[in-house]
Amino acid sequence: MKINPLRTSAFRLALGYGVIFTFGVSALLVSIYLLTKTVLNNEIDAVIAAELEGLTDEYNRFGLNGLADELTWRTDSWGRTGAVYLLVDSHLAKVGGNLLGWPFAGIPRGRWSEFYLDARGTNDEQVRHPVRASVSLLPDGHRLLVGMDVNQERGFVSTFRTATLWGIGLTALVGVLAGSWLSRGLTRRVQSVAETCDAIVGGDLSRRMLVTGARDEFDALAQAVNFMVDRLAEKTQLLRATFDSAAHDLRAPLYRLRGRLEDTLRDPNADQSVRERIDASLQELDHVQRTLSTLLEIAQAESAISVAHSTPVDLGELASDMAELYEPAARQRQLQLTVRKDTRCEVRGNRQLLAQLLANLVENSLKYVPAGGHIDVEVEQAGAGSRLIVADSGPGIPESERSHVLQPFVRLPSAAASTAGTGLGLSLVAAIARLHHAQLALEDNAPGLRVVLSFGSV
Amino acid sequence: MRLLLIEDDQEAAQFVLKGLRESGYTIEHSADGREGLFQATEGRFDLIITDRMLPHMDGLALVKFLREQGVRTPVLVLSALGTVDDRVQGLKAGSDDYLTKPFAFSELLARVEALLRRSVAPDNSPTRLKVSDLEMDLLSRRVLRAGREIELTAREFKLLEFLLRHAGHVVTRTMLLEGVWDLHFDPQTNLIDVHMSRLRQAVDKGFARPLIHTVRGAGYVIRDEDQSA
Repeated sequence: MKINPLRTSAFRLALGYGVIFTFGVSALLVSIYLLTKTVLNNEIDAVIAAELEGLTDEYNRFGLNGLADELTWRTDSWGRTGAVYLLVDSHLAKVGGNLLGWPFAGIPRGRWSEFYLDARGTNDEQVRHPVRASVSLLPDGHRLLVGMDVNQERGFVSTFRTATLWGIGLTALVGVLAGSWLSRGLTRRVQSVAETCDAIVGGDLSRRMLVTGARDEFDALAQAVNFMVDRLAEKTQLLRATFDSAAHDLRAPLYRLRGRLEDTLRDPNADQSVRERIDASLQELDHVQRTLSTLLEIAQAESAISVAHSTPVDLGELASDMAELYEPAARQRQLQLTVRKDTRCEVRGNRQLLAQLLANLVENSLKYVPAGGHIDVEVEQAGAGSRLIVADSGPGIPESERSHVLQPFVRLPSAAASTAGTGLGLSLVAAIARLHHAQLALEDNAPGLRVVLSFGSV
Repeated sequence: MRLLLIEDDQEAAQFVLKGLRESGYTIEHSADGREGLFQATEGRFDLIITDRMLPHMDGLALVKFLREQGVRTPVLVLSALGTVDDRVQGLKAGSDDYLTKPFAFSELLARVEALLRRSVAPDNSPTRLKVSDLEMDLLSRRVLRAGREIELTAREFKLLEFLLRHAGHVVTRTMLLEGVWDLHFDPQTNLIDVHMSRLRQAVDKGFARPLIHTVRGAGYVIRDEDQSA
């Protein structure tokens, strides 16, 4: 069986772990980012707040003029980089500081506000810098704004954010790649296990699972399966040996018996009545031999896992051959034997066994269908596989009997009385069908019997 | 013709030996696989008949070994193992024919004759086969009896061809089933007899001297009775 890599549990597991891993790393990176951003902002806010407090002190001690002087002095001489000051009167007109004018449309609410400042960059180009500021209302109605150019900090935070996003993306990518690499490795091993099992079920009992020596769970599985196959091979071997010796032990005395009878028959002194009796005995012997052969064939077919020596067999061609073989016999019994076949219905199997199966079915029909009836052999495509059908216009098999006529030595009461047979025909058909992994169904042909064999795809 | 029988079942061996000697063959016997192999490799036999289950050496291993040694003597395997699988194994090992025990002696005799004939007649691909006034042209696929064309179906043609290739020798029903239909099992019905009677209708009907004869308890033979008598 071919495994779809996207449907394996290994892949799903890898995917799951990938998602969890990526989620964890993302949470970590995002927290660091948010924390850094907050720390930076707090630092800026603290500087602004301290300066605003200092300047308010200045105002309290030296009044408005003192504050204006201090602002001029700070801006001109030692002022920190990026510092922004503005002192306005109650009409928001500039009194002092290094800003050109009131940057807001009105009075900002809240303690902290932000605005953009047009400035000159290092190469004298026009740039807009973000400024964070706080405004304090002085007791005489003037307003003091202290701010800070936060361009650098914002740049740093933005770079940090980009790095965080890249980090998350890369983590996800690495997770997916590592996951699929891992799951491919796992899938490959499971695939090899499945292929080996297929081969074993296909009849190759010499195949074994690969044990890598890594002592991992796959080695444990491989060892367990190998052990099982060892036992199966042993059992099959033992069964085979048992059948072989049974065949030998049963046939050897029959062989000697036959030899003795034939030897007597060749004796020129034997008189006619003796010859006749020996002839009759030989015919009985033939019957015993035939039954024994069929039994052994059934036993072997039932004990094997799959068909040995299998080749592609064209079912249609086989059906034609068998119909051609049986047609004269059918005509002799005034039966019509027809074949209807689809082109190219090929199955893998043993032609001899399949021929025997078909022969048994046709012979069954020949035996039971009364003169004037018909036997129809059909071969047709059914989905990916093929179907072989033998239908007749005979008495059929009552539904209650259908399941157990496939067992050895079961014959219908009506049949037992009228016709000679071993009672093994359908059992052999069932055994051969099973050996070929084909489904066997007995159906009502209304009237008659319809035997349907469904073979899987090649 | 010198034959070698390798068979450990003494009583069974005696029947085969007696029968084949009565049929005019010189036959030696070995009851042991290894000993039989030594004799077989000497190369003085025209045919080797061996049992499959032998003491000291399996019959199939013996055949394989012979073939590896380059011994081309035809081998007929007798075996108590008779399933389809066993047969395939037997033929794969390099044997020329495979007979399941118990068999009728006539079956063995017919197969022995066929194998011996095959080994002495090097020309296996004649273009014409002929018995008395019956002629078969294998190239144009035409059959003439006394100059008159006989219409045959494809299968009847194959059946007649098989008989003609063994002209003068008995072919059994199983041999026909194997040779003409490539089927290696015994049908329960007398199928071959029905086919033969149809062939006889076509070939012998209307002629004073029939060519196809039934051999009681054995099979069929095509021959000109007057010549053989």
